[in-house]
Amino acid sequence: MAHVSVRDVGFAYDERPVLRRISFDLQAGEFVGIVGPNGSGKSTLIDLVDGLLKPASGEVLVNGKPTVKYKRRDMAREVALVPQHFDLDFDLAVREVVEMGAYCRGKDTAVSGDPAATLERLGVGELVDRRFTELSGGEKQLVVLAQALMQQAQLLLLDEPASALDVSHQLRLFDLLKQLNADGLTVLCILHDLNLAIHYFDKLLVLSDGEVAAYGPPDEVLRPEIVEAVYGLRAYLHHHAGRTYLTFSPRPRGDRLGRVHVVCGGGTGAGLMRELVDAGYDVSAGVLNALDTDEETGRDLGLHMAVEAPFSPVGDEADAENRELMKRADLVIVAAVPVSHGNARNIAAAVEAAAAGSPVWAAEGVLADDFAGVTGDLAPAGVRFFADDAAVLAELRQRGSLHSADHQTADGLESGGSEAGAGSAHEAPATPEDTTV
Amino acid sequence: MTRLGRTSVWPGIALAAALLLVCLVLSLVLGPAPLSLSQLWHFVTSGPVPGNLANAIFWQIRMPRVLLACLVGAELAVAGVILQDLFLNPLTDPYVTGVSSGAALGATIGIVLHWSGLPWTTMLALVGGLATLGIVWMAARRRGRIDIFVLLLAGVTISYLASAMVTVLMIQGNQDMRAIVYWLMGSFSGRGWAEVEIALVAVPFMIVPLFFTREMDIMLQGEKRALELGVEVERTKRLLLVTAGVLTAIAVSVCGIIGFVGLVVPHIVRLVVGPSHRSLLPVSLLAGAALLGIADLLSRTVIAPNEIPVGVVTTFVGAPLFVYLLRRGRRA
Repeated sequence: MAHVSVRDVGFAYDERPVLRRISFDLQAGEFVGIVGPNGSGKSTLIDLVDGLLKPASGEVLVNGKPTVKYKRRDMAREVALVPQHFDLDFDLAVREVVEMGAYCRGKDTAVSGDPAATLERLGVGELVDRRFTELSGGEKQLVVLAQALMQQAQLLLLDEPASALDVSHQLRLFDLLKQLNADGLTVLCILHDLNLAIHYFDKLLVLSDGEVAAYGPPDEVLRPEIVEAVYGLRAYLHHHAGRTYLTFSPRPRGDRLGRVHVVCGGGTGAGLMRELVDAGYDVSAGVLNALDTDEETGRDLGLHMAVEAPFSPVGDEADAENRELMKRADLVIVAAVPVSHGNARNIAAAVEAAAAGSPVWAAEGVLADDFAGVTGDLAPAGVRFFADDAAVLAELRQRGSLHSADHQTADGLESGGSEAGAGSAHEAPATPEDTTV
Repeated sequence: MTRLGRTSVWPGIALAAALLLVCLVLSLVLGPAPLSLSQLWHFVTSGPVPGNLANAIFWQIRMPRVLLACLVGAELAVAGVILQDLFLNPLTDPYVTGVSSGAALGATIGIVLHWSGLPWTTMLALVGGLATLGIVWMAARRRGRIDIFVLLLAGVTISYLASAMVTVLMIQGNQDMRAIVYWLMGSFSGRGWAEVEIALVAVPFMIVPLFFTREMDIMLQGEKRALELGVEVERTKRLLLVTAGVLTAIAVSVCGIIGFVGLVVPHIVRLVVGPSHRSLLPVSLLAGAALLGIADLLSRTVIAPNEIPVGVVTTFVGAPLFVYLLRRGRRA
């Protein structure tokens, strides 16, 4: 029998539906996190499991018995809840506050446990004789957790217990929860930090707009495409130091401003690529060696790249693909990459692109570390130089979309740029030092 | 063994009881005809003796008046504790529920009607107070639960309504205006055993909340948290609201509206013994009795043979004490 069984539950505040068709089981001893955007119904779901709210349809079973059939005291013996907001304006001792948790256990002190020992279990035994109002936010959170533990319930529900805590208290809290779980408690915890969710929880329930979007192990349910659909942003999965991390960018895919090809390597283009992606450009890069920092970043960002084998000079195949990517791009940017014979063909490709009339921008730093003597061709080909990445991005911000500007440059036409916004229609072409070669 | 660390409630209760005893003795001894302690002992042990004037003054006038003052003080203090904690609002006093204004309206009707035969003013005040409690209760009921916020608003609204009606009646019954004003100010002057008997009805209502101190402690964290911890919040809330309402209605019906006791006694006691109800309720009960006993003593002795309205005295005694304790801070 499942510890908690939520069966086709629907719930609405007044006429506004909050949860629809929620079904999932929680087995005894599981450690499950609930994630989802604000307003997706997480707290409501927790309140339904604790029987504080009655489902409008379906039912919630705790230990096989519908929550609506529990008396409050009996429910408190089965389910303990750590609320999101907790404060107390009255000057009670910590001991008194913690002991309130034993209310559901009646006068039998042997069962209800000892406030001092419970605080000790959480590593804050010294708080027992303090005044509750004098505690810091993190200490209060632990006292409330101690209060909930005094209920001696087998199921622990937590509503964003870490939201008011600094990073060290957050980790300490989740380690404690993990320990309580190892001691036999079933834990169901709402949290916002998806990276903490990945690291700590056995299973995650993803709520989206009142429905279960996914339920399963973190690496199955926190795939970028699911996170993107649920949160309406872009998510990237990174692997670093043996762990998996998600990073996010605000804008959803599909809002394209144009194609930009970046020539970089050794980490000189990583920041630029991320910024360009976040700004809404379709970004490609090349030629990069596999396992190069920029290549890894590009892979995490899901970029189209021309890639060469590790530690190898650019070969014919990669060079051809790189030139193809440049041809399709509305703008080519050469980062401040050190140039050697290994990657000199990338510079040559950029020079050819500029000579053929494509807009090509370059960071001045590329001239500094040139061991192949090829960057001197950039300026005569009509490449425009910028001081650094920030200057490049500032210029791009001013232009916005690249689509119409390029056509004007290539064709020398003032008309025809109708698809772009009014702001960019009269902008200068992408290459100020016009193609004279 | 787990209770070892808990602060005992008994020192606070013993202290408050001693204070009340001193107040009782002083109130019974002092007055227009002062008694010695041995005389007091003699009167108390011998009981009412017909034909003895001093004995008659003691048993027919002073004793019921002192008892009534102490009973009303206890009732208002307990009602104040309950309502401040239910509303989670320190500015609450027993009169916010509108019960006192309803009682005032009932009393005013009693005064203008000039009925005789029964203590009609008191009876109608009681009816007015309880009826108001009922109306406010109905207004605050939503989907089977009592909304404390709506109850507060409804109480204040009914208060204004009842006060407006009292004003109209005062203007209509011009010759009764003085009686009405004096009743509204609150006084124990001329009250006797009949009023004491009514006030004694409130004793069970003072005892009941003592069995709900744990629930009341937990409800300081808000209704939702109390539910989470296993308290049947609606049931407890109803019981406490009715208790506080009945206590207020009874207190107001026998002596009019005496301010400051229900507001300030719970605060003073909270500053001294803390907010835990195991101490707060019994100590407030005793302290409320003591404060109003002393206040009535002062009201009838300071400018004897004239009286200062007792509500004025409670304010004069309570306000400086309250400010002193606030500044000193708890356990500073």
